[in-house]
Amino acid sequence: MTETMLEHSTATVSPQTAPRRKSRPLDERGKWWRFVVILVVTMIVIVPIVAVGYLSLQPGQGSSANGFTFENFGLVFTQTNIAYWLENSLGVTLVTVLIAVAVAAPAGYVLSRVRNKLVSSYSLVLFVVQSLPVITAVIPLFILFAKLNLVDNLGGVVIVYVGSTLSVAIWMLAAYYDSIPISLEEAAWMDGCSLFGGFLRVVLRNSLPGILSTAIFSFLLAWNDYLVAVVFLRSDVNYTLPVGLETFFQQNSTNWGLVMAVAVIMMLPPVIMFAALNKYFSVGGIGGALAGR
Amino acid sequence: MSAVSEGLEKARRGVGVAGVGRPGASPRRRPTRGALTLILFAVPSLILLLLINLYPLVYAALQSVRNGTLIKTGTFVGLENYANILTQSAFWDSALFTLIFTVTGVFGSWAAGLALAMVLRTKIPAGGLFKVLLLLPWVVPVVVSATSWNWLVATPQSPLPVLAESLGFGNVLFLSSPILAKITVCVFKVWISFPFMMMMMSSALTSVDVNVYEAAKVDGASGWQTFRSITMPLISRSTYISWILMTIFCVNDFPTIFLLTGGGPVNSTTSLVVMAYRTVFQDFQTGPGVSIAFLMTGVLVIVSVVLYRQIAKVNIE
Repeated sequence: MTETMLEHSTATVSPQTAPRRKSRPLDERGKWWRFVVILVVTMIVIVPIVAVGYLSLQPGQGSSANGFTFENFGLVFTQTNIAYWLENSLGVTLVTVLIAVAVAAPAGYVLSRVRNKLVSSYSLVLFVVQSLPVITAVIPLFILFAKLNLVDNLGGVVIVYVGSTLSVAIWMLAAYYDSIPISLEEAAWMDGCSLFGGFLRVVLRNSLPGILSTAIFSFLLAWNDYLVAVVFLRSDVNYTLPVGLETFFQQNSTNWGLVMAVAVIMMLPPVIMFAALNKYFSVGGIGGALAGR
Repeated sequence: MSAVSEGLEKARRGVGVAGVGRPGASPRRRPTRGALTLILFAVPSLILLLLINLYPLVYAALQSVRNGTLIKTGTFVGLENYANILTQSAFWDSALFTLIFTVTGVFGSWAAGLALAMVLRTKIPAGGLFKVLLLLPWVVPVVVSATSWNWLVATPQSPLPVLAESLGFGNVLFLSSPILAKITVCVFKVWISFPFMMMMMSSALTSVDVNVYEAAKVDGASGWQTFRSITMPLISRSTYISWILMTIFCVNDFPTIFLLTGGGPVNSTTSLVVMAYRTVFQDFQTGPGVSIAFLMTGVLVIVSVVLYRQIAKVNIE
């Protein structure tokens, strides 16, 4: 479950097996070529990302501005429905995160603390579910949603996102709870706390990093998704950013400045989140918690 | 079943520390009270799972033996959809491309990620900064990176074809020739995925004791020998797990391919997911589309189970 989880569990569960010196970097002197290699590789790798930022700041055709300009950002807001797309993306993503964490937090507790046949088969089912291709679920859900008026409806999209993030979210939280000693809860039970009280006051209170990682995972899944959005969302005002960017890109394929401005707006939240919270950034869920899409 | 779920259980807890030996797996006492609370804890997730994941699966299974469309349920046709698909050369072409895409995606990104993780492990100036920058392809949304790659390679006026021409390679059209389009899509996938592998391998390498390497050096082991007989065995568990995950990511991957090439030119980059999507949402044939998705899922589950067994074996050793 990536570094946060790793660090946490090694630190709390078995400090004696992870002495500090293990993680010191290998000291190999005179290998200046390593620096050169990594520098060149990094520069090549980030070309496409730098290009997005660079092109978004270039003045368009017939513009009076010289050098870098922010006019593309102004233009996309006046010429396209990006305000709607941004609002839809934010709304859908936040609601997905809230529901996914609220449902997964108690379920993960069951997975972590109860050891019996029923619970381990539930765990197996969750694993199988998360490795199924989203497309298999999307086709029948489309037919069902068409009857329930949920096609071209942001609520319908949220339902699908919650479904595709839930199994991984439960696994991630269960793995995190595993690192919290049960003796803490036992002490709370001794003091007359109920099972629910122990979960709320002891486990959840100590699980903030795990919850944050799960929330970030769900956020990225919902924010970055293209397949579900392109299938379910039909009208321009209901688009989320990925679908909006794509249509916009097809219509204005010559005006890269505008396209890239939308792209910058779309990639800013994940990149800022990564910069600020990279401790909790779990690359791909279950360790990424067997996250499959 | 029980062996598999036991392995899963191990995997779940083991993954938490990515192969740093066993986590604190002390046997837990089952909470004796509050059974009702526990049931209530699990029920919401169970309901959602049944509704959003299992119901569609059952429905899809039923659709795969009917000749329906998105609007009509159709009539029962038995295994005709499967027979039709399996006799189509387009299906096998796209199965082959899915295989190529997955194999290069998994091993290409793993090799690149492992190499970079090993270099970043040594002391280099600004190592932390490089690590952050190298993770960006994984962080940036695929829609954005596909847009950017399109700008880089799609038309003859794009920067990369221009560069190739000035270097004397002639007129290189990255997305117009079937073979080059395949290669471009695979490279794009490796570019997106290697940070994931780098992250997985970095945390696996942290658990390897540096002293072991110094001892090996003293004993006069060559770099390759050290890698083969010390590093590889110690990171094998994380390696298998990352292979499983990346296999699932690659086989299920839709946006990477669809946004860059749309499956073309002449279906040369149509993977099974793209084919299923097109069959259902462009040709409106639900039966065959769902059957493709099902066949794909079957293969995927088999591959994951085989790799899981491998993990269980590594655990015992």
